[in-house]
Amino acid sequence: MNRGHVGQSPPRNEDHRLLTGNALFVDDVHLEGMLHVAFVRSDYAHAILHGVDTSAALERPGVVAVITAEMLGDYWQPGPLLVPPPPVEGLIFNQASQVPLAKDRLRHVGEAIAMVLAESRYIAEDAAADVIVDAEPLEVAVDLEAALLPDAPVLHPQLGTNLAAHVVQKHGDYDKAIEGAELVINRRFHYDRGAAAAMENRAVVARWDVRAEELTVWDTTQAPIPIRNGLARMLGLLESQVRVVAPFVGGGFGPKIMMFYPEEVLVPWAAIRLGRPVKWVEDRQENFFATTQERSQIHHAEMALSRDGRILGIRDFFWHDTGAYDPYGLTVPINSQCTLLGPYDVPAYHSEFRAVFTNRTTVTPVRGAGRQHGVFVMERLLDIAARELGLSPQEIRRRNYLRSDVFPHTFQILFQDFAPLYYDSGNYAPALEAALDIVGRHTFRAEQEAARAEGRFIGMGIVSYVEGTGIGPYEGARVTIEPSGRVRVATGLGTQGQGHYTAFAQIVAEVLDVNVGDVNVVTGDTREFGWGTGTFASRGAVVAGSACHESATIVRRKVLEVGARVLGSTVDEVELHHGTVRVTADPSRAIGFGQLAGHANPLRGAVIPGTEPGLEATAYFGPDHGSTASGVHAMVVEVDPETAIVRIDRYIVVHDCGKLINPVIVAGQVQGGVAHGIGNAFYEQLIYDEGGQLLNASFADYLLPTALDVPRVEMAHRETAAPLNPLGLKGVGEAGCIPTGAAFAQAIEDALPHLALEIREIPLSPSRLFELLQAAGPAAARPVIADESAIAAD
Amino acid sequence: MIVDGEHTFSGPRETVWGLLQDPEVLAKAMPGARQLTLTEDGAYKGVIRIGVGPVTAAEWSLNVKLSDVVHPQSYVMNVESKGALGFTRGSATVNLDEVDEGTRMRYHADLAVGGKVAGVGQRLLDQVAKMLTRQGLDALNKELEARLAASEPA
Repeated sequence: MNRGHVGQSPPRNEDHRLLTGNALFVDDVHLEGMLHVAFVRSDYAHAILHGVDTSAALERPGVVAVITAEMLGDYWQPGPLLVPPPPVEGLIFNQASQVPLAKDRLRHVGEAIAMVLAESRYIAEDAAADVIVDAEPLEVAVDLEAALLPDAPVLHPQLGTNLAAHVVQKHGDYDKAIEGAELVINRRFHYDRGAAAAMENRAVVARWDVRAEELTVWDTTQAPIPIRNGLARMLGLLESQVRVVAPFVGGGFGPKIMMFYPEEVLVPWAAIRLGRPVKWVEDRQENFFATTQERSQIHHAEMALSRDGRILGIRDFFWHDTGAYDPYGLTVPINSQCTLLGPYDVPAYHSEFRAVFTNRTTVTPVRGAGRQHGVFVMERLLDIAARELGLSPQEIRRRNYLRSDVFPHTFQILFQDFAPLYYDSGNYAPALEAALDIVGRHTFRAEQEAARAEGRFIGMGIVSYVEGTGIGPYEGARVTIEPSGRVRVATGLGTQGQGHYTAFAQIVAEVLDVNVGDVNVVTGDTREFGWGTGTFASRGAVVAGSACHESATIVRRKVLEVGARVLGSTVDEVELHHGTVRVTADPSRAIGFGQLAGHANPLRGAVIPGTEPGLEATAYFGPDHGSTASGVHAMVVEVDPETAIVRIDRYIVVHDCGKLINPVIVAGQVQGGVAHGIGNAFYEQLIYDEGGQLLNASFADYLLPTALDVPRVEMAHRETAAPLNPLGLKGVGEAGCIPTGAAFAQAIEDALPHLALEIREIPLSPSRLFELLQAAGPAAARPVIADESAIAAD
Repeated sequence: MIVDGEHTFSGPRETVWGLLQDPEVLAKAMPGARQLTLTEDGAYKGVIRIGVGPVTAAEWSLNVKLSDVVHPQSYVMNVESKGALGFTRGSATVNLDEVDEGTRMRYHADLAVGGKVAGVGQRLLDQVAKMLTRQGLDALNKELEARLAASEPA
C-alpha cells in the first residue's frame, strides 16, 4: 500500500482545498467594518518632498483618514536591517533601509508618500488621486557604474556616497595563479533586472481586537514569525499579543520575505489607531514599483588557465545594484560571489564587489538570489576558454569538476550564513554524463548537421551549477497525536506553494507509520508555532523538514512507551503498525493511536512522574552548514538567424538535491524554476529610462514566458545524501532558474557557429539578440575541437 | 521623449507668430485643453485632459513659460504638466522661418515623462504625441485660414 512515505509521491494534502477554491488567501479575509487602503506613490525617481496636501482627499465622502509621514510620530522609523553584513575583514557597509512613508525625499518611482483609508477601495483610489504632492525633482542616479562617480547625485545625503558596500573576499593567491597562466580570459558581463512576478501580489489585513488586546495580521509573508516579532516591538505589544497568519500565498520567490514593507507596518498601525480592520491588496502595477526586485550586476571577470584547460584562478570585480535602499544587507552579492565558484576546483579566487544605491526599486533576493550572476560569469568564462583552447564545453567542465572524494570541501570565503563556504557533499561529473545521455551524446551532432543542411540552426547548451541551500539558523516543529488518531504538525514557516502540507506530512507519516493523508500540517500561523525564521534560501524542507523528523521521532518513542505500558508489555516488545501500537509477537494485542492519546492524557489517576501528558513533542533543528545541491542543465534550441526568435526544443535537468522527499514536488519545483529561468533569460527585463522611470510596468509590456514558451523539462534525479541532516536532504526551490541564462547563451552560440557571436549579457530578447546577430561578424577560424566526437567520449 | 518635426503654414510669419502666442488659439489647438490663460508673468496656465492607451483620460495641470523669445523667429517653451497619473517636464524650441510657401515652423521638444503614464503607456507615447501634434497643427491651420480670410478685404 502506498502510504505516502518519504520518497513517494502521494496526492498532495493541500490540493483539495486549493482545487475546490477553499484555500484561504489574504484577499479572502473579509471583516465587518473593514477599511480599504490605497497609497499615494511617487511619480519621481528622485525628488525633494516639500509637502503633501491631503485636504481635497479628506473631503471626499467615504474617506476616513489620509496618513502622511508626519502623522506617524515616533512610529516613523526606517525599517530594520534584516541581514547584517558578514564579518569579512575590511568590509564597508552603509545602511539605509526603507521608511514607512517618504518624509523629505523621494528615492524611487512608486515609493509610498501617503496612505488613504476609505470605506471602499474605489473611494480610496479616487481620494489618492486627490492628494497633491509638492515635489522638486532632482538629478537621478540610475546607471550602476556612473552612480559612484564624484559628480553623481547622492540618494542618502547622510552617507555622502552611493556606495552601499565594498567587499573583498579571497581564496588562494590569484596574483601567483596568473603568473603561471597559459591563457587568460577577460570579459565584461551584464545581468539585468527582472520582477519576481508572483501570481498573487502582496496583501495585508489587520484587525485589532480591543477586548482581547490582540492584533491579528494576515500577511502574504514568507516569514510570519519575524514579522510578528518586529511588529510587536514597533507597536509596543507583547509578542503574544500579535498573531501573524500567512495563509495560502500565491508564490513568494523572495520579495515576500520579512521585509517590513511600508504597507506591512502601516496597515496594522492604522487598524489599531482607527479601531477598525484594515485591508490593503497590492495591484499589479504597484507590484512593479513597490515590491522588491532583483538582479542588475556588472562583472569584469578574468580567468587564468593552463593550456590543458584547468582553471588556475579567477578574479572578478563587480557592481551590484541594490536600488534605493539596502535593508536585506549583502545576501544577494555575497551569493553571487560565492556561487560563481560552482562545482569547480578553483585554487585561487579574488572577488571584489561594490553595492550601489540607485534611484530604482529596492533589490532583495528573488529566486536564485544572486546565484544566477555568478553562474553566468563562470559558465561563460569556461565556454570562452574552451573555444580558445579547442576543447568542447563539456570537456573543459569535466577537467575542472571537484572530484567526488574531496568532500566536505571548504573555500576560505564567507557565505550568506557567515560560515566559510562549505560543500558538504557532491558528485558532479556523473550528472554531466547523465545529461549528455538524455540529450543523445551519440546522435546530437549528427542531428545538428542534418538540420543545418535544411537551413535550420539548432544548438545545445550544457552548464553546471551548485546551489547553497538549507541554511540555518533553525526551524522548529510540534507533532501531536490527537484523540482522533490523526497527527497534527505545526511549524513556523510560511508556505507559498512548495507542498509543505504534504512533504512535512510524509516525513512524519514515515516515522509514525501512518498514512500521509492522516497527517495535518499547519504552517505560517504564529499562534500555532511561535519560533522560527522563514521560507527562503531553499531551506524549508531541509531545516523545517528535519525538525519535523526530530519531533516525530520523539513522539514515536512516547507512543511506544505509552503503548507498551497500556498493552502490558515492554518497549522492546512492541512496534508501530499503520497507526497502532502492537505486540510484535502477538499482533492481535494492539491499540490505535487515538485511544492511546486518551491514555496519555488521562482524566483520572495520575500522569507518571517524570513524563508529560499527551503524545506530543516539539523539536528544533539547526544545521551547522547549508547543504549544497547541484545539477546540470542542458537545452536544445533552434535559432532563426533572421528573426532572432529562439525556440526551446528540449530542456533537460539532472539535479541532485540529496534524498527526495517527494519526487513529484521536486519535479514541480524544478519545472517552475526553469520557467522562471527562461523568463529571466529571454523574456523578462525591467526597463528603466535615464530618468529612473520604469517603462514596462504591466504584463502587456513586461513579457512573462507562457506555457507555449516553456517545454516540459526532461528530468533525472541523483541522490547524493547530505550528511548534515538525518534524512540527507538538500534544497531544490531555486535550482531550476539558476543556470538558465548560461545555458541559453551557450546554446545560441552553438546554433550559430558561423558567427563571431559571444553573449555576455542576460536577459536577451529577440530584438536584443537580433542586434547582437547584426553586430557579429563571421566567425574566425577556430581551433579544431579535438574532442568534438566527445560529447561522446566518456 | 523627443518630439520633433516641422510644418509649413501658408501665411506670413507675423500672423503665425501671433497665432502661436494667443492662449485662445492654443486652447483650441491643444487637444483636450479645458482652459488656458496667460498669466501676468507671461506664463500659460491651464488644464488638459488626455489619456494614453490603457491610462484613462485624466486631467493634467499645465504650466508653460516662454523664454529666449526672439520676435517673430523663435522661442523656448518650458513645459511642466502634472496629474494623478504622472508628470511631463521639459522644454520645446520653436523656430519660424520665412519660406516661399509661407512660414516654416520647426519644433523640437525634449520631454521627461514620469509616473503611471510612463510605466504603462510607454509603448503608445510616441504615437499619442504624434497624433496630438497632428490634431494641433490641423487646428492651427484652420485658425490661420480663418484669420487670413477675415483680414482680406471683402
